[in-house]
Amino acid sequence: MSGISRRKFLKSTVIAGGSAAAAMSSTKSAHAMKEFEGYPDSMGVLVDLTRCIGCRTCEAACNQEHGLPEPEKSFSDFSVFDEVFHGGKQKRRTTEKAYTVVNRYDTKDQGAPVYRKLQCFHCSEPACLTSCFVNAYTKTKEGAVIYNADVCVGCRMCMVACPFSMPAYTYDSALHPEIIKCNFCYDNRLTKGKPPACVEACPQDALTFGHRKTLVKTAHDRIRSNPKKYVDHVYGETEVGGTSWMYISSVPFDQAGFNTTLQHHPILDNTKSFLGIVPMVLGIWPAMFLGFHLLAKGGKGKTDDKSKNRVEVQGE
Amino acid sequence: MKSRKRWALKGTIVALFFLAAPAFGAGGEPPASVRIDSLSHLYNGVDFDHELHVGVEEDCSVCHHHVFGNGVADTQCARCHSDSKGTSSVACSDCHVKEPFTVEHLREMEADPNRYHVDITGLKGAYHLRCYNCHFAMEAPSECADCHERTDAGDRFYRSGKYAPTGGGTGGGHE
Repeated sequence: MSGISRRKFLKSTVIAGGSAAAAMSSTKSAHAMKEFEGYPDSMGVLVDLTRCIGCRTCEAACNQEHGLPEPEKSFSDFSVFDEVFHGGKQKRRTTEKAYTVVNRYDTKDQGAPVYRKLQCFHCSEPACLTSCFVNAYTKTKEGAVIYNADVCVGCRMCMVACPFSMPAYTYDSALHPEIIKCNFCYDNRLTKGKPPACVEACPQDALTFGHRKTLVKTAHDRIRSNPKKYVDHVYGETEVGGTSWMYISSVPFDQAGFNTTLQHHPILDNTKSFLGIVPMVLGIWPAMFLGFHLLAKGGKGKTDDKSKNRVEVQGE
Repeated sequence: MKSRKRWALKGTIVALFFLAAPAFGAGGEPPASVRIDSLSHLYNGVDFDHELHVGVEEDCSVCHHHVFGNGVADTQCARCHSDSKGTSSVACSDCHVKEPFTVEHLREMEADPNRYHVDITGLKGAYHLRCYNCHFAMEAPSECADCHERTDAGDRFYRSGKYAPTGGGTGGGHE
């Protein structure tokens, strides 16, 4: 009797071991796939800082497009460029009432100031999405990172996870607080083949809309045909694994307020190898070690009916 | 020098695009003034003083690229277009389209992998990049309203004038 049990038991152990090996190898291949460059037809925007003149038309267009609340100051009021926060270091940021803001940077290398538009970068592998345990975020095939307030529990992990500090939160809403961030005009425009409102409004063509793949080439072409004008880097091409919104500049990026210390692979990579073994540990180890345990116990010939049944169940 | 050229370019672009295009194409004289208003919405159209700008920049190619067949100012363009003949049309809108980011236009630009001119600014961008950048560099008038008057729709859009914020909202910053 106990021999049959043991045979079944060995069988189940082999199966368990086999699945463990399979799980490990699939983890390995998943990890090797970190070169994911986003969806093939992902759209993007190339922001050319050499063209931006700080007119704030994009901010006004965004406000109108999304029916955002009235701003504190007119969009024709350029005194906002002088606003600083947190002891003078922090310039304006996106808020629950502004998906995008433009800031001015007086740089060392260049006489005229540089203006930078800020909004969600729409990462290829977004950290906000990765951090969200209720899957409120989606990276769409069009390239937009969108958010679903209906499932959000308000933990605000995404705000912590975002390397660009883009998501804002409606703290003043007691009953229905939600995350607010640029959605690439996903519903109204992107899915209808139209550029975002800010892009369409920009008088200087500082914002160029197109397929991300094409924009990467465009960006390098602009740099190559005018090497003295541009810094030889496309910000967002590889930062945090690539972003849909990318920038080129005439001044070093750190002088235009960019974080130049970001890693050049997805934030997700930092946890992927660990998270990959969690299903194996939780799903397979209990079965496997229970098998070993029972095997060891069975070897002593003391298997009673109860544990035999358990073994058979395990063997199925 | 560069800014001068740009300034001239701005003028020329506009001029060609509207009134001047047919006249130039027929080998006529450049127009004295050009009304630019095909895009007017937030701002009224511009009465562009072409004559004045011709006086500032004599090299037409600064604004008009190679369309007159007498060489180009930009060394980048000169690589191919130094010997180019004049083109049949000199209208800005022939190359700089009003809506550069439509699905159709993006598809057209990407259709031929050997196409060189894939990064062409839109019409609005072409005007402003020429006009504004040159004005700014030459310290010529460079506020929006210096060239075109804002419309009522524009005031509403920018929340200025009678649509100015009444308070209570917050700006782009945070406390």
